[in-house]
Amino acid sequence: MQNSSSSSSLMVKQEFFTKWKKGLKIYSAFNKEMTIMERKRAIKLSADVAIASTRSATTQWSRAVVAEVSSSAAGAARIAAEEILGRKLSTERRKAQAGKKIVRRRRKAAARGAVRSSAAAVAKKVVRNRRRVLKRLIPGWKKLDEICLIKETLDYIASLQVQVDVMRHLANAGETLHHQQILL
Amino acid sequence: MDKQHYLMNAGIPLQIEASMPIPWSSDQSFFNPNSSVDHHFDSDAFALRHLIGKLDRSSPAALPSLAADPGFAERAAKFSCFGSRSFNGRTSSPPGSATPGQSMVALPRVASSPSLKLNGSPPPRNRKLPGSGANSNEESSVSEQIPSGETGSNSRKRKSASRGKNKDHRSNSPKEAEEDENLKRSKQTENCENEQECNENKTNQKPPEPPKDYIHVRARRGQATDSHSLAERVRREKISERMKLLQDLVPGCNKVTGKALMLDEIINYVQSLQRQVEFLSMKLASVNPDMENLLSKDMYQQSTSLPQQMYPLDSSSPAYYHHHQNVQQQQLHSTNISSVDPLPLDASLGIQIDGFAQNLPQQFPAFTEDDLHSIVQMGFIHNTVQNQTSNMKVEL
Repeated sequence: MQNSSSSSSLMVKQEFFTKWKKGLKIYSAFNKEMTIMERKRAIKLSADVAIASTRSATTQWSRAVVAEVSSSAAGAARIAAEEILGRKLSTERRKAQAGKKIVRRRRKAAARGAVRSSAAAVAKKVVRNRRRVLKRLIPGWKKLDEICLIKETLDYIASLQVQVDVMRHLANAGETLHHQQILL
Repeated sequence: MDKQHYLMNAGIPLQIEASMPIPWSSDQSFFNPNSSVDHHFDSDAFALRHLIGKLDRSSPAALPSLAADPGFAERAAKFSCFGSRSFNGRTSSPPGSATPGQSMVALPRVASSPSLKLNGSPPPRNRKLPGSGANSNEESSVSEQIPSGETGSNSRKRKSASRGKNKDHRSNSPKEAEEDENLKRSKQTENCENEQECNENKTNQKPPEPPKDYIHVRARRGQATDSHSLAERVRREKISERMKLLQDLVPGCNKVTGKALMLDEIINYVQSLQRQVEFLSMKLASVNPDMENLLSKDMYQQSTSLPQQMYPLDSSSPAYYHHHQNVQQQQLHSTNISSVDPLPLDASLGIQIDGFAQNLPQQFPAFTEDDLHSIVQMGFIHNTVQNQTSNMKVEL
């Protein structure tokens, strides 16, 4: 059990890593000399697109990440993203998403009246606010209703963990290498 | 461990889909109690995986991946509210008395699950509700999937026998009356999103015929049985079930109880992860003067076929040492290095970093033991991990 789960998470990490490198290769092919900020942006964008592509557009957040990149990226970024995803990005903005539409329901509680100061009501309000905050953290939050929010959060957290793992290892390796460079 | 489960699931969505191309067709016979082969699958969880995967049509790859892990699926099964098809399949052939008994068997397991927050579960079930109509049931819970019911049936039959019998009376009479209603609802749910399926199907009865998949919900004892509150309850249960899964994923969330605090933890964790990504990308940008390191790594990896083993290493430094001379490695066993890693790592990037490490001789002079030791002395050591030694040996 441990082996299988570890190996599959390893697979996710490897998939992310290869896609990420693909993106970075394209970036460096475009311009050899980049400022540190450009590099950082390149790294981050490649990483985001790579981790989103591991979900193959099955989750809302991954679709949102890709959509955001496709609408705001230009030049090297766009080509890198396309290469990672393996497909062309849609350039025009999508007017009406075919996905979920969130129907704003009229809150019946408002009609129910004035017993707002009860502990339960306060707790509910706190929870609701926190949910709203959480929702905004996740990419593509506009299309998430409450149930989907939690499912997306699950997936998003796992993917972020993969991303951070890989990046941290790479950073450690690079740091070690750097130190060795100093020594030699 | 749970995070690993989740990632395992996420990592093999395609495999899962390939392995169960037509999950439901195989399920039909599975859920047919008359068939001699009751269990096509090895475990509950495996069947649950199918159901979970099928249930969420909107994200076919995500949820099977999400729930592929048996532990995950088992947990989800306890909390989940799908499995109506199992009921429907059951009610098709067998006599009515058999299925309610068996279906009732599933309920106590659900009823005892703490996450469902049953109200009035302790009081005896034999009492009939005063003023309850023909359609109301004494107790209600989310109907569970039959596989879990079946496997649990032997142990739970005695406990629920009386309950089952009580249900039996009620279930048989209004069955026909609800049949049309159920069929209509089932048609509705065909088009609905799976998230809303629970809400739409609040039938109190199992229809005698097997409609398409929809969720059975029973009203709890002492609770209002109108459709709205039932839908509310189902929705709440779904949410709480998912929150439990989140709890496993976010470290440090188990001690916290209550939705507000848990959400707080989750928010903090997500924010910290996002900030970490930013920080690490900046660090990577500063460490590598160019991307050449990564590129060479890439070239190296393509040329190497590294074994897909599990390396419970959680630092890159030992991985370096693996690929050096044996002499070095013998010495390095005594100087295990691991970076501080708050996140539990089941399998590190041993493979990638190994590829990276092996590439170094091409770019830099060959390492000597002294170099490595000096690195160690530079304060790179944070922890020593015992199992790293054994793993290094394995890799040899």
